[in-house]
Amino acid sequence: MTVPIFELPDELRLSLITKQFPCREPQIRALATLLNPSSAPCRNLVVYGTEATGKSAITTALLASLDGDSFKHAIVNSIECITARHLYETVVGKVAAAVGWEAVAPRCESVSQLTVELSKMLKYTERPDGFRFVLVFDGIDHQREAPHTLLPALARLSEIIPSLTTLFILTSPPPNNLLTTFTPNLHFPTYTKPEFITILSLSPPPPITPSTTPTETLDLYTRFLSALHDSLSRPASRTLPSLTQASRTLWPKFIQPILARTHTVKEFSKLIVLARVHFQDESVLDPTLSLSPSTTTTTPNPTIKTTDLATLLPTTARFLLLSAYLASHNPTKSDLTLFSTFHHGRKRRRGGFTGGRARKNGSQHRKIARKLLGAHAFVLERMLAIFMAVRTEWDPASGGRIKNGIVEGEQGLDNDIYMSIATLASLRLLVKVGGGGDVTDLGGKWRVAVGWEVVRGLGRSVGVEVEEWLVE
Amino acid sequence: MNTFTRQRVLSTLLSNPRSFCLEIKMAEFDDTSLFQEDDHRVAYMFTAPPITTAATNTSPTTTTKSAPGRPAKRRRVSEKDTAAPLPAQEKDDEGRQWPRLFNGLESPSAADLRKKTYESAWPVLESEIESVLRDANRQTLEEVVEFLNSDVHECEGRGRVPAGFIITGPNIAGQDLLFSQLGDVLAELGEGRVRFVRLRAGEVGNLKGGLKRIVREGMGGQEGGGGEDGRMGGGGRRYLDYDLEALRMEMEGRGGGRVVVAFQDSEAFDTGLVGELVGLFHSWQDRIQFSVLFGIATSVELFQARLLKATARQLYGAQFDVVQANAVLESVIMAAVVGTKAQLRIGPGLLRKLVRRQQEQVAGVGAFVSSLKYAYMNHFYANPLSALLVDGQKLGKEILQPEHLEAVRMLESFKSHVEQSVEDGRLDHARLLLENDDYLKGRINRQAAKRQQYLGKLLQSLALVIATEHSKRSFVELYEAALEEGISLDQSPGPFDLGDAIKRSTPEELIGLIKRVMTVVVDGNPSLHWNGMGIGQDAEAAIDKFEALRADVERLIETSKKKKTSLKSKYSSQSRVLRTTVVAQKVQLSRDTATLTEEDNAFTAAIDDFFAFFKTLVGCEPLSNLFLNEVWQYDYHLPYEDVFVPRPGATFARALSRPHDYLGCACCDKANCSMVGTLPATSILYHLYSEAGASINVADLWAAYYALVGEDSEIGMDERSALVLFYRGLAEMRAMGFVKQSKKKADHIAKLKWL
Repeated sequence: MTVPIFELPDELRLSLITKQFPCREPQIRALATLLNPSSAPCRNLVVYGTEATGKSAITTALLASLDGDSFKHAIVNSIECITARHLYETVVGKVAAAVGWEAVAPRCESVSQLTVELSKMLKYTERPDGFRFVLVFDGIDHQREAPHTLLPALARLSEIIPSLTTLFILTSPPPNNLLTTFTPNLHFPTYTKPEFITILSLSPPPPITPSTTPTETLDLYTRFLSALHDSLSRPASRTLPSLTQASRTLWPKFIQPILARTHTVKEFSKLIVLARVHFQDESVLDPTLSLSPSTTTTTPNPTIKTTDLATLLPTTARFLLLSAYLASHNPTKSDLTLFSTFHHGRKRRRGGFTGGRARKNGSQHRKIARKLLGAHAFVLERMLAIFMAVRTEWDPASGGRIKNGIVEGEQGLDNDIYMSIATLASLRLLVKVGGGGDVTDLGGKWRVAVGWEVVRGLGRSVGVEVEEWLVE
Repeated sequence: MNTFTRQRVLSTLLSNPRSFCLEIKMAEFDDTSLFQEDDHRVAYMFTAPPITTAATNTSPTTTTKSAPGRPAKRRRVSEKDTAAPLPAQEKDDEGRQWPRLFNGLESPSAADLRKKTYESAWPVLESEIESVLRDANRQTLEEVVEFLNSDVHECEGRGRVPAGFIITGPNIAGQDLLFSQLGDVLAELGEGRVRFVRLRAGEVGNLKGGLKRIVREGMGGQEGGGGEDGRMGGGGRRYLDYDLEALRMEMEGRGGGRVVVAFQDSEAFDTGLVGELVGLFHSWQDRIQFSVLFGIATSVELFQARLLKATARQLYGAQFDVVQANAVLESVIMAAVVGTKAQLRIGPGLLRKLVRRQQEQVAGVGAFVSSLKYAYMNHFYANPLSALLVDGQKLGKEILQPEHLEAVRMLESFKSHVEQSVEDGRLDHARLLLENDDYLKGRINRQAAKRQQYLGKLLQSLALVIATEHSKRSFVELYEAALEEGISLDQSPGPFDLGDAIKRSTPEELIGLIKRVMTVVVDGNPSLHWNGMGIGQDAEAAIDKFEALRADVERLIETSKKKKTSLKSKYSSQSRVLRTTVVAQKVQLSRDTATLTEEDNAFTAAIDDFFAFFKTLVGCEPLSNLFLNEVWQYDYHLPYEDVFVPRPGATFARALSRPHDYLGCACCDKANCSMVGTLPATSILYHLYSEAGASINVADLWAAYYALVGEDSEIGMDERSALVLFYRGLAEMRAMGFVKQSKKKADHIAKLKWL
């Protein structure tokens, strides 16, 4: 019996996979042709495309459908391999498992050893005619601790072992693609808008109300998806997961008026107008980490929510954090104006020097507001000095109140303050900048690691408007 | 002058000299012949002579060698040498016994008794506190376990790693207990199918280390294979020790299960590492079921802001709250300070200080517990009278020495008791107390029973006051007030001012109140370990009384219901009504007493009756009024502050600016924070230093110094000796980190310390 030289892949198998992965038919056909031993098998193949374009899933499904006596495959995911050595050993292990090889080498430390092991299993062992083995390196460009000769070396494998096809799945095509000997490349482009809608509407949400039919829901969902794709900027909604995430978050808000029976399913444009606020909000693209606790527990927790940062920290730690924020965001030269009562008699805070500055700024170019530049590093001693200066004003109780002949609340730096600093540092609310030096070193540089919103809330919890203490 | 000794003074003086005077108990340590080591002392008394000689014109270099105050140089000596100079007493004391107090006059058995009392008193409380802490975590644990076992994440979070975020608050020390409990619970419930792996930031530096730990602990800690870096997996293959494949094979062999990985202090982890691990778990999710738990000290939002979005997308989770430290603190205080299991009463002043520090400075109960332990240690170690805390019967007569009695007669409470007796005209009693030792012993033996009685009354009153639910103050505040001022319901306004609230209650409220009070009378308050009033006559009488009152009120409600009027009391209804009538275009105002029906009057009487009886049950004296309260009360701030809140900066500043506080020399007494030539050179330099700016010209400094001590001044030192002292002082300033050589100007030094 003669084997025909060229034969197209089996249509029946392909149609199954095509149905499973909509909108990817050309890629599936090309991949099948390049892998099928009877079509146009190649030695090395590069499959590339951005995340969530179906590269790995389609390759896996196609290879599984092609599997047979004279066709084996192994897939190695580089994310799971911690070192290059781990990669080699995983390759050997998976290939051995695929071909049913018993005597697996105990160790494999380099590419040359890998070549020897693979040759043993695939080249020097009797295999049926037309045997092919496909070795897939998934995400090989993200391999940790990879030697820079890794990719070329792996590409040489198929030259040494004729029956081997090596498939590389990458995010972007190799840069010197056109300079080397020809390697087939297969691009998985991102989905287009109609494709997105087709894919997402394959799994429509359940009917909104019992009275709406599935068709109506699907219809509304499709139009919703289209509007969603248009409203979120393209880079933001580029990938399938982020669009799914956004639709999952927005859909309940979108159908809220229907549930409230103020609008019907048919009034799409009115619904859009109502939900416009949500569509403009790009925070829906942020992945949410948590459910609310009440959905996971059967009994809702009756206790008051006390897990706000402002209530968690002890008072001194809060003051220190506020001082650190001020030290990070105020320029050093304004310290005297802000915190000293000695020279001025009264404090000039916001806009104390506006007159003088306005004249000076008139001729010069505008500077970027300091607030926008983020937190600056400050010297620990300066922060402590600010803390000492503002402490009595923010917390009058700390100013040495005398009760029953005992001075309560001491001024001065005691060890509790250093302990609070250590607490803040261990919570990464204060971060030490630059290595070396002891934590208690007054000359050490630090930076505050919380944002404006948190600090404002924190300030209000102790009755301080932080805004008043900021120069700009 | 003696540099070594002076530095020693400065370095050992981390404490306030006032404590030296106030702490009577510390006075036993005065006798240097008993103890060679000075480290445990509150203050090290420096003998003045070398200083004065140095300051008065003697050449300082000659005095160093022969200074009498100079301690022997420490060096390594052989065993034989050390044995000889030690006093005989200390030799058999080592390790086992506590030093005898009363300048060593205390009998060994008394010292032993103190030690035993301490050893029996503290562990009880320690286990008590731990059980309170464990109880506090229980609800969170149940929720977390339920989440891990539930399939919520099946539907919405398919393909994501289930993650529990446990908000523990900044009490990082408390996380340890929580997670070890969690491990126990999961191991118990999972029957070997749940592997629990705890990761701490300190132990896991990089990805490989983390994976090694997960694989090792996930496989139940067994060391398989034993290659230098590989191990045997289930299928006879060797795996690298960071290969999760090994874990998978092992789990498959045992029939599946899940792996729970807990990041104990998530904030301290490198976020990149967390991201990589989560990525790995996500990638393995189809083969090994991973769940992750994060212990979070701040908030989920802050934590999420640090994670990569890609990592966040791989997680799907729920948030759990742990009972916060402030809430736990109250139950800890109830169990360990107020409850009957506490042998020693922490005085109101110290308790207030502890609680205040807890709220303002410290996150976590750990600091409170160790402060409490320190108070116990202090009391039993340093107070010879703590031996009297044992029950009267056990306190044999031989334990009580004449010194004990003498000490008792010095006590404040003894003095006030005697004075009170004299005022009351019980002259014999007062005389016997002062003169007759046996009489006093009898009294001492009876104080244990009195103490029990007092505590019973105190706890009963507090439990009843809480049961009314009318008090606006927190429990700890009530307790402090009770110790300090006693409990009296009449005092108004006061912390126990409950009269109005009780009297204003409606019939239903009154019945509820009676029920609650009865429960307390019968069952006591479990969190205080107070078991109610017991089965004595008092208790029965109280129950009968309350039962009768309740029956009365219920009957009154019934009757008024039949009559279709509402039952009210004199106090609840607006008894006086202002009535306006218009008669002949004139407005007449008349006061009218609202009519109370017969039932209303009866109800008013019932309320009065209840309150009057309630008052007999509630009430106690201030703690300090009690005879011999010093034996079982501890209320000293200073040792606690010196140990837990040292202020080295302030101590240095004080030692340098007012050295005579520590040195006790006569020459500088009048100085009072100003510069006098008789001060030690370093001190003078410090004064000059604090007046100077950021960089100091050394020549100017010298000029100023010499003007004070030089030949023209009262001291009249010659230039050479003054210069030597000046240089030494400057060197000491540099050694203490006050100044350093300035790089900008050759003849200047830079000021380093501002705070």
